[in-house]
Amino acid sequence: MRSRILAALAVLCCATFCAGQNTIKIGIITSLTGSQAAFGEAHKNGYAIALDQINAKGGVLGKKLELDFYDDQSKPDQAVQGVSKLVDEDHVPVLIGPYSSENAKAIINPVIQHRVPLLIPTATADNVMDSKSPWIFRICAGANDYAKKTIEFLQHNGSPKTMAIVYEKTNFGQANMQAMKEAATKAGIKLVAIEQYEAKTPDYRAVLRRVKAANPDVIYFCSYLLDATTLMRQSREVDLNPRYYTSSGTGFAAAEFPTSKGAGKDAEYTFSVSQWLADAPWPGSKEFDAEYAKRFGSHPAYHAMQAYESLLVVADAINSAKSLAPAKIRDAIRATNLKTSAFGPVKFDATGQNQHTVLITQVQGGKYHLVYPPDVADSKPIIPAPKWSERK
Amino acid sequence: MTTFFQACLDGLLIGALYALIGMGLALIFGVMRIVNFAHGAFLMLGMYATFLLFDRFNINPYYGFVPAGILLFVFGYVVYKLLIQPIRERSEFMQILMTIGIDLILIDLAQLTFGADYHQANIDLVNRTLHAGRFTINAASLLSFGIAAAFIIGLQMFVMHSRPGQASRATTQNRDVAPLMGINVVRIQGLSFALGIAFAGIAGGLLLPALYLFPSVGEDYTLKAFVIVVLGGMGSIEGAAIGGLVLGVAESITSTYIGNQWALAIDFVLFLLVLSLKPSGIFGRQRA
Amino acid sequence: MSGWKFWVLLAAGCAVSCLPLLSSNNYLLQVFFRIALFAALGLAWNLVGGYAGQLSLGHAAFFGMGAYGLAIFAAHHVPMWISLFLAVLISTLVGGVIGKIVFRLRGPYFALATIAFAEVLRLGAANLDITGGAIGLSTPSLFTGESFWKLFYLSAVILAVLSFLTNYWTSRSRFGYYLMAIREDEDTASAVGIDTANYKLRSLILSAFLTSLAGAFYGSAFQFIVPDSVLTIDISVQMAIIAMLGGAGTLLGPVVGAILLTGASEIFKNHFGERHLLIYGGLIVVVVLFLPEGIMGGVQQLLRHGRRPPANPLAMKAEAQGVVRQ
Repeated sequence: MRSRILAALAVLCCATFCAGQNTIKIGIITSLTGSQAAFGEAHKNGYAIALDQINAKGGVLGKKLELDFYDDQSKPDQAVQGVSKLVDEDHVPVLIGPYSSENAKAIINPVIQHRVPLLIPTATADNVMDSKSPWIFRICAGANDYAKKTIEFLQHNGSPKTMAIVYEKTNFGQANMQAMKEAATKAGIKLVAIEQYEAKTPDYRAVLRRVKAANPDVIYFCSYLLDATTLMRQSREVDLNPRYYTSSGTGFAAAEFPTSKGAGKDAEYTFSVSQWLADAPWPGSKEFDAEYAKRFGSHPAYHAMQAYESLLVVADAINSAKSLAPAKIRDAIRATNLKTSAFGPVKFDATGQNQHTVLITQVQGGKYHLVYPPDVADSKPIIPAPKWSERK
Repeated sequence: MTTFFQACLDGLLIGALYALIGMGLALIFGVMRIVNFAHGAFLMLGMYATFLLFDRFNINPYYGFVPAGILLFVFGYVVYKLLIQPIRERSEFMQILMTIGIDLILIDLAQLTFGADYHQANIDLVNRTLHAGRFTINAASLLSFGIAAAFIIGLQMFVMHSRPGQASRATTQNRDVAPLMGINVVRIQGLSFALGIAFAGIAGGLLLPALYLFPSVGEDYTLKAFVIVVLGGMGSIEGAAIGGLVLGVAESITSTYIGNQWALAIDFVLFLLVLSLKPSGIFGRQRA
Repeated sequence: MSGWKFWVLLAAGCAVSCLPLLSSNNYLLQVFFRIALFAALGLAWNLVGGYAGQLSLGHAAFFGMGAYGLAIFAAHHVPMWISLFLAVLISTLVGGVIGKIVFRLRGPYFALATIAFAEVLRLGAANLDITGGAIGLSTPSLFTGESFWKLFYLSAVILAVLSFLTNYWTSRSRFGYYLMAIREDEDTASAVGIDTANYKLRSLILSAFLTSLAGAFYGSAFQFIVPDSVLTIDISVQMAIIAMLGGAGTLLGPVVGAILLTGASEIFKNHFGERHLLIYGGLIVVVVLFLPEGIMGGVQQLLRHGRRPPANPLAMKAEAQGVVRQ
């Protein structure tokens, strides 16, 4: 009985996975189900736009490009299994993904063992780049870049003395907290409170009251998506008035955050690091935003852009490698040197990290405005954030 | 001291919603002895129903929760008829397995229908803060609390005084004798199941303005509901109400004095303490 | 199932289990590793859930302790295999302590208390520094090199066989009959002089031992663990589903359940994309509706077609031994 089931399983697997030869497959791991499915969807949409653009231009190496998705269900072990499925079974020459830092960290070793290049689109925790392996690349900036840029910005704008960090209990939150802790200490900024919170709960008032008691000049929020809305709303409620509200992106950089669908007026004056904005001074940014909005009915956050750009980079690399050998593709990705793209310049350093420019934005009048670095800024930062009682 | 009372106040406000969730579960457990693992998924459906009314027809969630509750009542009844009634004589194991299956199906269906995106219903009331001396209260939370309290009392009255309510209590007390007293147990179980689900849906609707929405939002609340029901004494409806309030206050105090990340842990610690010291629940009497 | 039939079946099963070793496809090996491991887990759960009839939904606690124990000891420079031994030892002991507390409860209280224990451990692991918090820990690789997945697969098969033999022994020993008597009617069992608390505890300790061993191998195979991957309620539920769907309290049930559910869920995922959980849930609902004794229960009924279908063959056996008074 067992043998028959095993045999049937083997046949089924083979029948399913043996693919046609007229296309080139790229392996994509992302979270299509589970707690991070919203970001997986953003990934999927970004990839879809890139795919159509690539194929409209004739594909790669004269063949159509095809995406081979593996759903990691927002679980690290499933992501690991995805590496084997895509590489051993489907024989893809290159991988892009996954979404979260947890899952990215989990697949690093298996990817290195499989000897295929991996381009990480969105995982910001810096431990995913710890391996220093030549097979691992990352297109997005990491938590250290976020922290450094934020500190740099603060030192340019009034040099505050004290800071509180409020972070959510995930790899993302913890990584950003640690990066900021180091960066702030180095810059001589005193950390007066470090608060952790459980995401997706409706009440952060207690946390914010504790922060208020510590009376910091700056608050640095590290939080996902809609927690940002709740945090700002309740900051007003407990009348928390730091001079600067800063944050490590994600929730504070989501398209809805400054609108009435997000925190609305409570979002005003918050600073955030950002990987990308539709208004960024990079050619193709606005077009991507428009195309995304047309197709999917909402404006993209930077996660979709990172997925989009990752696929373009990989397709370019295959074309310039003129080969599907993983090692050749790896070398071609390493040699990538885009002076400009919709995601800004793309160039990988010796560790495989893209030298991405981190932007700092501030919500002014219900919109994100670029306020730092000065060479791309389009507005002046408003400092300090007015007290809640003085806001209209 | 202000901090302490403020923490209690915040805890009570959210606790009333916990109470609603817990009472729904207690009702189902009491009458049917089924531990409903899909409770959080029904809560999620209630949130989606309320959200859709808000998003498409601009109906304020504080009205929208009513049709959402009614919808969930009907849906709960259908689920009972199709999936629960056929297995009501099966082992406890199989019944739990069934609700786990239902949970998976509902969450995946929600994702396929509504997408995995996060949603939020922003209404003005959420942004209004009331001041009472040195204390602050969010207006929306207060309204949710008031409505929840009304439903809690309403359910209690219904169970104590109405004919179906008495029949359901009789069924809770003894499932074998109840039919001899002329009670149609199947009908009472169906009604109780549907009512329990409706309460989960109403709680979801009231939670919507404070929280945000995505397909697996209910998972944490399933576990919370278990904790509440055990705190209050399994199957005891008034116990669940008090259990919910206790849980809200305990979480809030933990969050204020120890740290928010331990707030969920306190749920389970409390739960284990009660289970090992007084399994009949803090407020549970000997099963009557 | 008795005597030579059993051993022939076991030998055949082992032989078939070796087939995937001929393949060098790591993905298939990984899928089969998961199937074998979950068969072992289902069988381990079966000791408590199937024979003793105690619905545990907190076995992730032991699974996670095995994985975390291995990672933590190894991180403190304890040799790998000694780390494994210590991890399993501690998990088993903790299993005993947890058992002491939760076995005072019955029915749904017991099920909920087991969930609570696992959740406390999960939240603890997510908040403490020694466990790496939400960032997680790297686990040492017990095997390395080219045949990495083959060796892991083989370990999982050995573990499954070990669990199977434990189940077999349980199903025929006095210990097992006592457990079944407890399952059928705890008060009666206690009244005829069975030390119910003691026997339930023993079954849990045995089960915790096997589960933590599986957890350690799992953590080691995937090389990296976070609280949500090894201490999640999903693991507990999956173990219970595998055993119950296959047929709780039967020997082959958990094995069939693991092949069907773990294998099928992978196929579903590759075929149905985002709909795979829907189909998985649907499968559970269908089995519960139409096969009240699980799949093996259904098969046995089919085999006995025409005769009076017994409620549960093992219960009958216990009854025949005169342990249970109906």
